Amino acid sequence: METTLLLNTSLLLTLAIILTPTLLLPVSKTSSNSPTTITRTVKTAFLISLIPMTLFMLSGTESITSYWEWKFTTNFKIPLSFKMDQYSMMFFPIALFVTWSILQFATWYMASEPHITKFFFYLLTFLIAMLILTIANNMFLLFIGWEGVGMMSFLLIGWWQGRAEANTAALQAVLYNRIGDIGLILSMAWLASTMNTWEMQQAPLPTQTPTLPLLGLILAATGKSAQFGLHPWLPAAMEGPTPVSALLHSSTMVVAGIFLLIRTHPLLANNPTALTLCLCLGALSTLFAATCALTQNDIKKIIAFSTSSQLGLMMVTIGLNLPQLAFLHISTHAFFKAMLFLCSGTIIHSLNGEQDIRKMGGLQKMLPTTTSCLTIGNLALMGTPFLAGFYSKDLIIESLNTSYLNTWALLLTLLATSFTATYSLRMTLLVQTGFPRTPTNSPTNENNPMITNPITRLALGSILAGLLITSYITPTKTPPMTMPTTTKTAAVIATALGIALAMELSTMTHTLTYPKQNPHLNFSSSLGYFNPLMHRPNTTNLLNSGQKIASHLIDLSWYKKMGPEGLTDLQLMAIKTSTTLHTGLIKTYLGSFALSIILILSTQT
Amino acid sequence: GEPQMAAYLTHQQKVLRLYKKSLRHLESWCIYRDKYRYFACLLRERFDKNKDVKDMVKATELLKAGEEEFWANQHPQPYIFPDSPGGTSYERYECYKIPEWCLDYWHPSEKAMYPDYFAKREQWKKLQRESWDKEIKQLEEETPADGPSTEALPPARKEGHLPPLWWQYVTRPREIPM
Repeated sequence: METTLLLNTSLLLTLAIILTPTLLLPVSKTSSNSPTTITRTVKTAFLISLIPMTLFMLSGTESITSYWEWKFTTNFKIPLSFKMDQYSMMFFPIALFVTWSILQFATWYMASEPHITKFFFYLLTFLIAMLILTIANNMFLLFIGWEGVGMMSFLLIGWWQGRAEANTAALQAVLYNRIGDIGLILSMAWLASTMNTWEMQQAPLPTQTPTLPLLGLILAATGKSAQFGLHPWLPAAMEGPTPVSALLHSSTMVVAGIFLLIRTHPLLANNPTALTLCLCLGALSTLFAATCALTQNDIKKIIAFSTSSQLGLMMVTIGLNLPQLAFLHISTHAFFKAMLFLCSGTIIHSLNGEQDIRKMGGLQKMLPTTTSCLTIGNLALMGTPFLAGFYSKDLIIESLNTSYLNTWALLLTLLATSFTATYSLRMTLLVQTGFPRTPTNSPTNENNPMITNPITRLALGSILAGLLITSYITPTKTPPMTMPTTTKTAAVIATALGIALAMELSTMTHTLTYPKQNPHLNFSSSLGYFNPLMHRPNTTNLLNSGQKIASHLIDLSWYKKMGPEGLTDLQLMAIKTSTTLHTGLIKTYLGSFALSIILILSTQT
Repeated sequence: GEPQMAAYLTHQQKVLRLYKKSLRHLESWCIYRDKYRYFACLLRERFDKNKDVKDMVKATELLKAGEEEFWANQHPQPYIFPDSPGGTSYERYECYKIPEWCLDYWHPSEKAMYPDYFAKREQWKKLQRESWDKEIKQLEEETPADGPSTEALPPARKEGHLPPLWWQYVTRPREIPM
C-alpha cells in the first residue's frame, strides 16, 4: 500500500516540478525564469523521477490513478487517469535525463539567440506534452499529448521563421502528422462508439476487434514515426536548431507513434493482417532510410535518416508482437541518438555554421571529447556487442531470424543493418579522420563544460543503459534461447560486412577515377524521387479538382445549366425545330383557318 | 568608370561562369584535396586548349557542348556555402532584422531608458528631412531620359550634400543580429 502511494506521489511531484516554470510565467512580473532555472527544473524532475523507477524495478508496483472525471454525457465519461506501468515508469527518467542534457547543451548552443527563454519554454512545453502522452491511460489524454507534441514540433522547426525552407519544413511536418491523425481519430471514434469509453483497459477483446481501427492506429504511427509513405517530414525537420533535432526528432516525439502501438498492443496481438503490415512497413522504412543516408552530405541529414531507419526497426519489432523489446529499443536509442545530435551541434558551431561533411576532417585532434563520444554513439548505433544498442538491436534481429514470419522483411532488415554500419563509418571517416578540409580560422573549441558535460553524460548512458535496463526488467515473453550459430551472429556479420563496404568505398574515393553520376547514386541522393513524385502531383490534383468542383460543377452546372441556361437550351431546341413552320404567308394561314373550321363543323353535325 | 551590368552576358562571362561552376561541382565530387587538384588541373587544361579560338560560331558551339557536359556530370547535392542562397544558414536571422521605424513606436517609458540615443536620433531624422529634397533633385538630374540603366546610385556631388537614399543604407539592420 505504501509503495503505491509513494509511487503516485513521486510521479505527480515530477509532473508538478516540470509545470512550475509555466505556472510562474503569468505570476511573476520580473519574469524570474531563465534558461538556467529551466535546466535546473528538469534536472530536479529527473532526480525525483528516479524514485518511481527504482520502486518499480525493485518491487514491480504498477498503478492506475484516476482523478477528476469529465462527465461528457450520462454514459460517456472521460476520467483524468494516469497509468504508471513499466513503460511510463522507465520512459520518465530517460526522457528527463536526455532533456536535461539537451537543455544544458542548448544554454551554450543558443547563447547568441535573442529569445532564448522563449525557446526554452517551447522545449519545456513539448516535454510536458510528451510526458502527458506517455502517462495517459485513455485515448483522450493521449490525443492531447499527441497534438501537443505536433504543435510544438511545428513551432520549433520554424524557429527561425525568416527562412523560407524552415517554414516549408514546419508546414510539411504538420501536414504529414495530420494525415496520421486521421487514422488516430478513426480508431478513437470506433473505440468510443463500440465501448462507450476511451480507457485502454476497457478495450474490447482482441478477437472481436475489426481490422479497420487497427489500420487507423498503424496510419497514426506511420505519420508520427515517419515510416515509408509519410516520411519526408523527418529529414526536412532538420531545419530547426540542433537541440530541437536532438530532443524532438530523435529521442522523444518520433517514438510517440511506436509508443501508441505499444500501448494498444493487446488489440494488435491477435490480428495477423495488422502484424504483417507493421512488419513489412517497418522493414521497408528501415531499408529505404538507410539507402538514402548513404549519399547524404549534411551531417544532420545523415543522423535524421539514421533515426528514420531505427524507427522502422522499432516498427518491425511491433510486427513481431514484441512491444517490450520495441520499448527497450526506444530507451537505448534515445541515449545515443541524442548524443549524436549534440556532438554534431558542437561540430557545427565550432566550424561557424558548416554542416557539410565534405568540409570537415581531422576533427579527432581538434575536438577530442566530442569526436570520441561521436564514435561511441556510432558504435552503439551499429550494435557493437555490449554497448547500449546491442541489447535491443541484436535481440530484435535474433527474434526476426527465428520467427520464420517473412523472409523478405528479414532480408531487408539485415541489409539495412549493414547499411547502418556503412553510413556511420562514412560519417566518422569523413568528419574525424584525415586532413582538415575546414577553413583555417574556425572557432574550434570545446572548452565550455556546458558542452562536454551533457555529451559525456549521454555517452555514459549509451554504454550502460542497455545493460541496466535488461538486468532489472524481466521480459514478459521468453526470448528465443537456441538457434544455429549463423543465426545468432547474423547481425554482427551484417555489421561487419557493412564496415568492410565502407572501407572499400572510402579507398575508392581516394583513387584517381573521374567521378560521374550513376543511377544508384541518383536514386539515393534524391531520396528515392519520393518528394517530387508525391508533393507536386498530389497537391496540384487536389487543388485543380477543387477549382473544377467550385467553378464548373457548382457555378456552371447547378446554378446555370440546371436553371436559366438549361431552360434556355431546351426552349431554343424546340424553337429551332418549329421555326420552319412560321412562313408568314397569309394565304396559307387563311387556308389553315378554313380547314380547321370545316373540320370542326363537320364533326359537330 | 567601372563596367556596369548589362541586360545580356558576354561570351567571356559565360565561359568563366561555366568554368567556376564546373570547378565547384568538381570540388563537390572530389572530397580530398589532392584528387580535386589533379582533376582541376585537367579541367583547366581543357579550357586553356580552346582559349584562342577567334571564330565566334565555333566558340559558341564549344560553350554549348561544355554546358551539356556540365549538366550530365553535375553533382546531385553540390556544396553550397552556409550563407549563400540555398545554404543551411541563409536568411536564418531575417526574423530578427526589424526596420528602424519601429523605434518610433516605442513607449515613452522605454525611450526614457536610452535618452542620449533618442536625442541623437531626433537630430538624425531632422537631417534626413532636410536633405531629402536635395537627394531627389540630384537623382532627377543624374538619371538619363529613358529611365535608369543600372541600379547603382551616384555619390554626393556638392559640398554639404548627402548621397541619395542614404537613410536606408545607414539604418539597415546588422547581418548577424545581437
